[in-house]
Amino acid sequence: MSDYIVLIKQVPDISQITDNAFDPEKGTLIRSRLANVINELDAQALTFAHKMRTDSGDGEGKIICLSMGPPMADEILRYSLSRCADVAVLLTDRLLAGADTAATANPLAYAIRKIERDIIKDPNDYYIVSGMQSVDGDTAQVPPQIAEELQLPCITYVTGAEYKNNRFEFTRIITGGSQIVTSKKKPAVITVAEYEFPLFAAFTKTRKANETQIFKWQASDINAAHIGVDGSKTSVIRVFPPPETTRKCRQIENAGELAGIILKKFKVDKKAGEQKTPEDIRKYIMPEDRKDLFDRTYEGTEKENKQFAVLSEILKELQIQDISKIDNSIRENILAKAQKSFTGRALENMLNGLSKRKPTYQGQIWVCSEYEDKKIHPATFELIGKANHLADILGTKVGVTIIGNNIEKFSEELIAAGADNIYIVEHPLLEEFDPSAYKKALVSAIEKYWPQIVLFAATPQGRVLAPLVSYKLGCGLTADCTSLDIRDNSKKEQIAVLLQTRPALGGNVMATITTINSRSQMATARPGVMKRLPEDKSRKGNVVKHEVQISSDDIALEIINTEHSTGNVNFDADIIISGGKGLQNKEGYNSLIKPLRDSIVKTVKVEAEIGASRSAVEQGFIDRIHQVGQTGTAVGPKIYIAIGISGAIQHMIGVANCDTIIAVNSDHNAPIFKQCDYYIIGNAEDVVPQLIEALRVKQDAE
Amino acid sequence: MPNSKDYNKVQVLIVGAGPAGLAAAIQTKKNNPELDVCVIDKAFGAGNHNLSGAVLEHEPLHSLLDSAADGWRESKEAKDVLGQTIRSEKIPFMPSSKIAFDLLFVIKIAKRLGLGLGGLLHNGDYAISISKLSKWLTRIARDAGVEVLYGFAAQEIFFDKDTGLTTGIKLIDQGLDKEGNKQPNYLAGDIINADFIILAEGCDGLLTEKFIEKANLKRKQPQLFSLGVKELIRVSPEQYKKFGADRVVHAMGYPIWTPILGPAIFGGGIIYPGTDNHLAVGMTVGADWKYYDFNPQDALTKFKDHKFVKQFIEGGTIVESGAKLIPEGGLHAIPRDSQTDSIGKGNCLIIGDGAGFVNMLKIRGIHLAIDSGIQAATAIINSAAEPGATSVKYTELIDKGMVGKEMKSAANYRQTIAKFGPTLGFPLSIISNLLPKFTIEEDYKTMTEAKYKLKPQRNFDKDAFTATAATEHREEEPCHLEILDIDTCEWECAPKFDRPCITFCPAGVYEIVDGKAKAANPSNCLHCKTCQRKCPFDNIKWTVPEGGGGPRYRKM
Repeated sequence: MSDYIVLIKQVPDISQITDNAFDPEKGTLIRSRLANVINELDAQALTFAHKMRTDSGDGEGKIICLSMGPPMADEILRYSLSRCADVAVLLTDRLLAGADTAATANPLAYAIRKIERDIIKDPNDYYIVSGMQSVDGDTAQVPPQIAEELQLPCITYVTGAEYKNNRFEFTRIITGGSQIVTSKKKPAVITVAEYEFPLFAAFTKTRKANETQIFKWQASDINAAHIGVDGSKTSVIRVFPPPETTRKCRQIENAGELAGIILKKFKVDKKAGEQKTPEDIRKYIMPEDRKDLFDRTYEGTEKENKQFAVLSEILKELQIQDISKIDNSIRENILAKAQKSFTGRALENMLNGLSKRKPTYQGQIWVCSEYEDKKIHPATFELIGKANHLADILGTKVGVTIIGNNIEKFSEELIAAGADNIYIVEHPLLEEFDPSAYKKALVSAIEKYWPQIVLFAATPQGRVLAPLVSYKLGCGLTADCTSLDIRDNSKKEQIAVLLQTRPALGGNVMATITTINSRSQMATARPGVMKRLPEDKSRKGNVVKHEVQISSDDIALEIINTEHSTGNVNFDADIIISGGKGLQNKEGYNSLIKPLRDSIVKTVKVEAEIGASRSAVEQGFIDRIHQVGQTGTAVGPKIYIAIGISGAIQHMIGVANCDTIIAVNSDHNAPIFKQCDYYIIGNAEDVVPQLIEALRVKQDAE
Repeated sequence: MPNSKDYNKVQVLIVGAGPAGLAAAIQTKKNNPELDVCVIDKAFGAGNHNLSGAVLEHEPLHSLLDSAADGWRESKEAKDVLGQTIRSEKIPFMPSSKIAFDLLFVIKIAKRLGLGLGGLLHNGDYAISISKLSKWLTRIARDAGVEVLYGFAAQEIFFDKDTGLTTGIKLIDQGLDKEGNKQPNYLAGDIINADFIILAEGCDGLLTEKFIEKANLKRKQPQLFSLGVKELIRVSPEQYKKFGADRVVHAMGYPIWTPILGPAIFGGGIIYPGTDNHLAVGMTVGADWKYYDFNPQDALTKFKDHKFVKQFIEGGTIVESGAKLIPEGGLHAIPRDSQTDSIGKGNCLIIGDGAGFVNMLKIRGIHLAIDSGIQAATAIINSAAEPGATSVKYTELIDKGMVGKEMKSAANYRQTIAKFGPTLGFPLSIISNLLPKFTIEEDYKTMTEAKYKLKPQRNFDKDAFTATAATEHREEEPCHLEILDIDTCEWECAPKFDRPCITFCPAGVYEIVDGKAKAANPSNCLHCKTCQRKCPFDNIKWTVPEGGGGPRYRKM
């Protein structure tokens, strides 16, 4: 008779962003102007727990909802009570505010311990169920970190549960497929990636929920170890709007020209490197190598670069060579000359920063490699490319770890991709990815060599391994980075640190983050964003074997079945071709969209996927999994081709992140023409075959 | 609270959380704090299904708040919701797309002569957002101890013919798929039993109409409707200042009524000031329009393009939009019991727009909605011993009070125009109360094969309209709109009128799919119900979708 602790979070409703919600000057999203709702995946997790309770015939099992947030977060607890929850706990205290994921996971874990003591019947028989990630933070780190704090197994990306032989078998997404697993012990942490059929509020339960008392706990009730800003391991140094995409809206006369545009796009891209994060910004130079002693114009933000430039000029003017000799009267003199460019307190911080010239972190740049189905994941090569760039700046080496069984064969390939040192952890029990065992292996290697940076791919594997490892080692972790660079944060006495930039709030804002109070800086990076180096088979590297004792007790999950499937939708493809209701019917869709996809794969030699508008799905042209847009999936390929899609705002929201949008439509007034880069006015039946032909001809010509 | 409490039972159940329902709830609770008062509403949140111009006459609201919310005048919400008192107005008549002349002086003379038209003057009223008003009243109601629960859609009402009493209602079943099969999250709708039931659903309420039929209430004349379409536009501070935060505009004429060449549709355009540089621009058109290809949104486009309007809104951003029906039949369209004349029956009362309390001379109804709510509360308190007598007591209070007086004064006005058209009807309406009661036909019967002459070149962007209305429904739920007989649609409507629902539905719900008209996009529905009142063959039925669906108006 298991109980269920469901973790829920109140988040801003990013599906209803109006332009009122943006700061007119800074262009950043003002979070307080958005409505607050329960994080959708957490609502699904609640449903999932309800289903687990029902399927196991556990009429007596309690569902206990736990949330951390401001007092108004009690709304989502009422939401839960009006559906299926029995008990609601809100962890609310100003002391808990401003926390990063680690300082969020820690008090939540302590609250779970208190729930275990005070509310749960059997401390060895419960599940912690949570949404995989929240729409605002989008990191997926908190549940694994809670598992690590409580030393529990963690099953992530779960999409289903079946009750068999008195235990649950969970279906979960793994990189490139799915897997059925079961937890070897209880309690266990389950994170839900997708579960349909959210529960409805019942009238009677809603009335009852409004009368139910919600337990409100403060920091002092749980005595957690790491809370709030002070307990955090990362710090946000800058929030800024995502780069504006300006569409070209250019009309193309014929399919031939369009084929040329598509082919050219990928030729350019193959050379261009990291397109979304231009590298043409000034290359970082170590303070000791700078010509000017007080040159601190390699800061993380423009504002600080300016302040340091002003300070540097003044110090030159005053002919100051030694910072330690600056007394109060010189300070006042500096402030007077600075003409309010900075405050006295900022000056103090800057002078402190100037006294530091050695890099804050030491060691190699590591990449935690990943492979699936006997092949290295492309994201690993991309990370090695990035690691090379960083190692070059910092004057250090690139190390790559491989964990598994019979994996030494990958070494050559990894060295050719840019690795200097390969660290191999081999063990028969590491044959398949088990989060706890892999964590143990990696933690042991890191503790021996202490690299200054560890990079993971933001894949289903990387996104569970990274938080387990970083939490265990007490290091900060930033998820899903789209840009990584080395800069100073001199005011915080941080020199040559990793600037980690990532989108947040569903891509509506960007944040730049640095790691603090940690021995190593850790980050996951989105696949497809960084650029791999050209393969160089003549490169030399060392292969180091690292021994770790692994026993069957270290394996937390029992894997029942693994399936590497190809049947899923690959919306990470370089090109997505979507059809709308302009195609008239299913036959129209099948006879145009699919052949165009096949032709593109063949001629452009990139991954391509097919998509559809809501109305096309509604009318049965294709399965709902292919739906692009506000109610479907938001996609961001290099090229998005919309055929017979009018460009309703709901659809366009879902394609906002696409590099290039191409539209084909017979309606001269289709709104999509004002929101795309290139368009052809014409019938899909005519244009698509012409385009297929033109692609073939152009490709043959080369 | 003991666990044995029957959560299916409430003493006073109010269906609909608009100004009428909330006023009834607040006043009931104020009259007797011991009573257990519960308001349900199908919207996702407070104010989400409330749309109006709106101009509010302050009297009933003030008396409600004075008795129920101490110090309300000083509250933040009062300043936000009631911050704009009208001090100036314009009543332009627009004979063409470029010209406008002000009729204000005519109305002022009418007022001086004591003619009904004088009611159009709004000096001293509030320009408000009804969404914001409802949200505020929800807060006041909750503070007073009323349960106001959103996201619950009522589907059925239980009327006992033998006792003449209504026992309760049933909520809609949720979690069915498109074909009506039960999904894993299926939840049967709760039955709510109540001692008193107040139907405050607004115009053309689902339960209200079912109740009228079951309890055999009668209207002397059919209800007439107008469709209002409205956009809230954020304009530049200069434009806003030029318009004036204390001014309202009620325009007549172009593009729905140009007296000599036509078209001739009842209605007009409005421009009202909102807060933060927002202007509400709307068009209300009588649903007795004759033109098969007419879309009220086209009239809105033309109105916005008119030189007089354009100066205030050009370059602005539409931040919200929506559409809603207005009940305009007036006194003779109030549903009453044939024996006792009661508006409702036994322990079940109909208030606000659901009963048709709109004063067409003033084109205002919110104050009557609030007043009817207050009267309903009084009737309930006076009927504790005999619930069956409530509706008669309520009706006495209504007929003798403000609502009755105003409804009588405007009794024949709208019908005169319905009968004679705006060109002849407007002048005749001055003496409308001296004219005999006309036989009026339902709006849906007025459709002809005539074309609307001022149709713009380009189709109105209904997708953008529904997007800013923020309307949402679960995509997999059963379609809540039903075309009753597809043959009529195909063989009678198509050849004659080209299926006008496709054109006039402001949300673009209807489309031709495989050659047949279909409610193809029910998830776009704005719950305006125009389709059910204007389909020329009375061939569309609107039922209620799952709770929480529909638009999410915030400042409408």
